[in-house]
Amino acid sequence: MDFLHLLARLATLDTDNTALTQAPRRAALSRLGQAGTAILPALLTSLATPAEAGKKDVRTRLDALKLILKLENLQNVFYSRALGLLPGGPANPTAFFGTTAIKAAIQTMQSHQAQHAALYGQLVTNAGSTLDAMPNYDFTGSRNGAQASVYPDVYTNLDTFLKIAQLLEDASVQTYKGQAAFLQSDNYLLETTVRAHSTEARHAAQIRTMRRQRGATVKSWVSATDTAIVPTGSSLNVVYTTETNISQYVTLNGAVTRVPFDSTLPINVGTPALSASALLAKVAEAFDEPIEAVTAESVLQVFTY
Amino acid sequence: MSDNKLFGTDEAEFAKPLFVPIKRRSFFMYAGATAGATALLLAGCDDDDDDNTTTTGTVSLGSGDVGVLNYAYALEQLEAAFYAQIVATPYTGITADEKTALTAISRHEAIHRDFFKAAITAAAPTQIIGGLTPDFSKVNFSDRSSVLNTAKTFEDLGVAAYNGAGSLIKTNDYLLIAGKIVSVEARHAAYIRDLLSNGTFADSTVVDNNGLDKAMSVADVLAAAQPFIKDKINGDNVGK
Repeated sequence: MDFLHLLARLATLDTDNTALTQAPRRAALSRLGQAGTAILPALLTSLATPAEAGKKDVRTRLDALKLILKLENLQNVFYSRALGLLPGGPANPTAFFGTTAIKAAIQTMQSHQAQHAALYGQLVTNAGSTLDAMPNYDFTGSRNGAQASVYPDVYTNLDTFLKIAQLLEDASVQTYKGQAAFLQSDNYLLETTVRAHSTEARHAAQIRTMRRQRGATVKSWVSATDTAIVPTGSSLNVVYTTETNISQYVTLNGAVTRVPFDSTLPINVGTPALSASALLAKVAEAFDEPIEAVTAESVLQVFTY
Repeated sequence: MSDNKLFGTDEAEFAKPLFVPIKRRSFFMYAGATAGATALLLAGCDDDDDDNTTTTGTVSLGSGDVGVLNYAYALEQLEAAFYAQIVATPYTGITADEKTALTAISRHEAIHRDFFKAAITAAAPTQIIGGLTPDFSKVNFSDRSSVLNTAKTFEDLGVAAYNGAGSLIKTNDYLLIAGKIVSVEARHAAYIRDLLSNGTFADSTVVDNNGLDKAMSVADVLAAAQPFIKDKINGDNVGK
């Protein structure tokens, strides 16, 4: 079988990281079933240049927990500054938010992010690890002046603030989704994570709804019709380019099969029926996509130094 | 299908040729990327102990991962039928934003429903449940409050159902799919809740004081959904 050859070939690659040598073989085996088939084509592609395969995502449960904690800490600080709970935000938070409804919504989100940060901090500690030092944050995206600002008016323009909030909440949904697979061997961690994940999705939808109510062209879910909120060329665009995926897969007779949304399924409800392209746009909306840890880190890095 | 069947008694034999020449660390690296290979192997050990025998008038969702997929398929059928009715007979006073959004949600739910139909047909063609008959007799489709409160019930229930089912899923592919869908359901829930009462998108009726959204057992979800479905649903073996 080709995959045995593949594994043998990959074994010739070296890695200097031996942190996982204590991992039981059985645990490693269980990982066989724990990744999306979507990355299979990427793996096959990597056969041509096996050295590149060394960059594949490798995660322990602790890695997954630490990444989520990083993300939650960042979001907590982002909202806390806006609310005046931490320095560095608007001079007058109440005036900044304009309406009590928006301020109340942000307070709800901040309290959840603080709860998530506390919970995941505890989980990391329970796992026998120590908490990493918090980085410094710069939500203009300039990394303390080291690069051009992406959002220079983050705490003086509410619409800019809400754009970043949307970006971070959407990225958070994607990050949790990407890390869940690495926690699948522990039911408690998995359930905790999927539950925090859907809370983040509620936040994302609310931020989007509030932006739409303020005149922005944006759905409460990720849609191709949303007006871009990330400047062209910014590395932050990765959050939305990944959401255009219209391919979902199932396993059919042992083969990975793409679900043919565009031809055979009786999806077209209502009248008039959608065109094939309009239907696929709805397919993209109907499934949120994961991002890998390295992608999530690249998003976090823009706002930290 | 179960990983245990594959990795149980044959573990040593199976592991040997793979592991001997491979450092554990590097195996870890690539093991995660071989889901396709695993799927190929697992396909050879399809469950044949699922019991989908139905007594008259009862729909059994089955067991194992197929049971979880049928469970999701049943809930998506319910949601899709509900939103299709809203689109067909919009309530009095529906706004343009509401009509656009509810139409989009109806498409999302229909796509989810048909996705599961395709997935189960592919994975276990003899075990897929049929089309369910919804019972919306308690919903007044001309009344905004009746419609949106029912929508809120369905969306929150859907989120809690997926959150509760995550740990029942054995196959990684299906966990990822559930994750891709549940966050869209949560977005729907937040939108519908905002229509009913601003600021309730993630209130304490659904999110606890650890910031965790609700998770519900299969039994509790089915008990809540049953009044809206004419067929009697049996989910006793879902995920088992």
